[in-house]
Amino acid sequence: MPDVQPLVSDFVLKLKRRKVEGSHAVARQTAELLRSVVSQHRMGSSANQAAALADAVRAVGEQLIAANPIELAVGNIVRRVLHIIKEEDISSTAVGIEGLSVTVDSDGEYDSEHDDRPALSAAVLAAHARNALRAPSLQTLLEDIPVSPAISRTASSTGDSDGKSKSAGDKSSTRKLKHDVIAAIGDLIDEIDSCYEPISEQAVELIHQNEVILTLGRSRTVKEFLYAAKEKKRSFRVFVAEGAPRYQGHVLAKELVEKGVQTTVITDSAVFAMISRVNMVIVGAHAIMANGGVIAPVGMNMVALAAQRHAVPFVVVAGSHKLCPLYPHNPEVLLNELKSPSDLLDFGEFSDCMNFSTQDGSPLLNVVNPTFDYVPPKLVSLFITDTGGHSPSYMYRLIAEYYSADDLVVRRKATS
Amino acid sequence: MEPDAAQNPSPVPPPISAYYQTRAEHHAVVSSDWLAHAAAAAAAFPPGADAADAAALPPPPSSPGAGGGVIEEFNFWRRKPEAAEAVAAIMALAAVIRSSRATTMMELEIELKKASDKLKSWDATSISLSAACDLFMRFVTRTSHLEHEKFDAAKSRLIERGEKFGEISLKARKTIAMLSQDFIYDGCTILVHGYSRVVLEVLKLAASNRKLFRVLCTEGRPDRTGLRMSNELAALGIPVKVLIDSAVAYSMDEVDMVFVGADGVVESGGIINMMGTYQIALVAYSMNKPVYVAAESYKFARLYPLDQKDMTPAHRPIDFGVPVPTGVEVETSARDYTPPQYLTLLLTDLGVLTPSVVSDELIQLYL
Repeated sequence: MPDVQPLVSDFVLKLKRRKVEGSHAVARQTAELLRSVVSQHRMGSSANQAAALADAVRAVGEQLIAANPIELAVGNIVRRVLHIIKEEDISSTAVGIEGLSVTVDSDGEYDSEHDDRPALSAAVLAAHARNALRAPSLQTLLEDIPVSPAISRTASSTGDSDGKSKSAGDKSSTRKLKHDVIAAIGDLIDEIDSCYEPISEQAVELIHQNEVILTLGRSRTVKEFLYAAKEKKRSFRVFVAEGAPRYQGHVLAKELVEKGVQTTVITDSAVFAMISRVNMVIVGAHAIMANGGVIAPVGMNMVALAAQRHAVPFVVVAGSHKLCPLYPHNPEVLLNELKSPSDLLDFGEFSDCMNFSTQDGSPLLNVVNPTFDYVPPKLVSLFITDTGGHSPSYMYRLIAEYYSADDLVVRRKATS
Repeated sequence: MEPDAAQNPSPVPPPISAYYQTRAEHHAVVSSDWLAHAAAAAAAFPPGADAADAAALPPPPSSPGAGGGVIEEFNFWRRKPEAAEAVAAIMALAAVIRSSRATTMMELEIELKKASDKLKSWDATSISLSAACDLFMRFVTRTSHLEHEKFDAAKSRLIERGEKFGEISLKARKTIAMLSQDFIYDGCTILVHGYSRVVLEVLKLAASNRKLFRVLCTEGRPDRTGLRMSNELAALGIPVKVLIDSAVAYSMDEVDMVFVGADGVVESGGIINMMGTYQIALVAYSMNKPVYVAAESYKFARLYPLDQKDMTPAHRPIDFGVPVPTGVEVETSARDYTPPQYLTLLLTDLGVLTPSVVSDELIQLYL
């Protein structure tokens, strides 16, 4: 696909230079890029159209993930698209095979052996198709029906009579597949765009009259959530921890005041001092991992610990594009990014400390500015996603719904 | 094992768990006195026969009888060191199907039910045995593919799937080993307890992936399975240190993660494993170290133990080296229950799971 390559490399460059940030923007742009990848993809004459399409997506996805591995939303969307392709492929082949078996049944009376075979394999295949989308489970542990023999058997038993009509139908079916996939990606983009609505709908049930809410930094999801509660005539107070070093909390405080929410700005270090007056902590997240742990702006773990210490519910609001099917193996190191020290210190003021000529040449002053914190699942009371409220131990279930198990590692197959 | 029972100083030896007996045979370090007993036993019986078996029949059941053969068949498979207990159980049930003269699915199911009940009651202490029997029964009664087939075809498919189970088991171990690789990083120290084939497979793969790590092995009293584990690991060139079981808390600060296998995974997401796992998990939890359980999914059992004593007790002889004074009781239980809150993740062939997923899987299968 030579036409999309400039688009891809443009986006890769943007990701690398950290010009696109924030999981919402990243997720949206990834989905849009992948939609154009799919629509530009020329359906070849190869037997397995869906696999070719998935390979194309995987190839692009690999580049995007490598460009900024910290933006987990990129990988999430790539996996979602791969899952969509698989889903559409299975639904279309299931329909196709049902059709085939019907034609054989009608004219297959002369051969009793062939008669029940296709019907059987269609049923088997349909059952298997249902299983293929699901993650491996105990239920399917013993019943692994090889898919390819079933298909080839159907093909061989029907091959001679339907050979021509099948090849004619092939073209329209691939076009349909592509069309369906594009439509489904469109739905995905809509879902990403409108993820705030279903989340903020739940606000009234969680925020009660005269409650005190604490939040850290600025998250659009949290903002919409609080707005929604305000619109429903709830009166409540919000403590906003400023979220050093970016001080996004100041922005959020301003926005809340504009809507008439009573707001108090506190420093990050005052969280423990104020937490005893708080009824609930509501925060946004950068990503939710498969074990229910949260990657969140730096300082969040401290807030979570404070909340736990005072038995205050710690609620995380996040759209489903932030659900990441990976496990945090070493989150403090691997899933973090060090930003420029200029957020913390003024270079001009501290330039004397940066003198490399002292002692052994290493500077005496070091500045480390990590972006994220990892909040372990046991500190989270509740997740609010677009599908409702879930406990941390339930996140794997949502993930099994959105992603297929074999896409966890996005890597091109050996032949591409 | 009779010789062992005679060695046991307690006057009335409790019934010894067949499950742990097999494990001891397969995994224990061969000691000099064990060799002597084995030589004595070999003189009296053909090799492979076990004196303590309920029915000491010649092991290879070339043509097992219709009803009574299931236990012999099970014992035959159980003796193979590479075969897991669950594989033996399913092989035995597959043999029941093969020798069955039933002509309808219903008859076959009743026959299988009888056989599996017999098998389960023969060794009530083995969790993976009863879990595997349940799993296979569920497969027979519930599987959707059988509805569309003739009885003979269904029967042969059941036999075929049953006999493939050995492969499924091996594949499960491979999958777990692959999934676990992300968790083992260079320079880490891993504590293992007892001998577990899955954990060994995990560490083996990590070593062949050129990961640099160190393993601490507990001794694994009373059958010293940890020594066997350390032996195998040392053969792979992995740096190993052996601890006595009571040195776990002492060494925990240098440990980065704990890896254990499981005899059974119960519905709460907790595990039942060799004695000592619970205290290791407790120590690890209080020192904030992750505890990973490597277990195949066919070990998921429909049990919900509420406390340690809430299971069929599995006894195992304990040799203290010196005679225990008369009137002193000996705790001979072979396993303990580790509640789910002390486990970090379960690494299974179904994927990396949090403990709460286990009940979900079981509910999907049995409801």
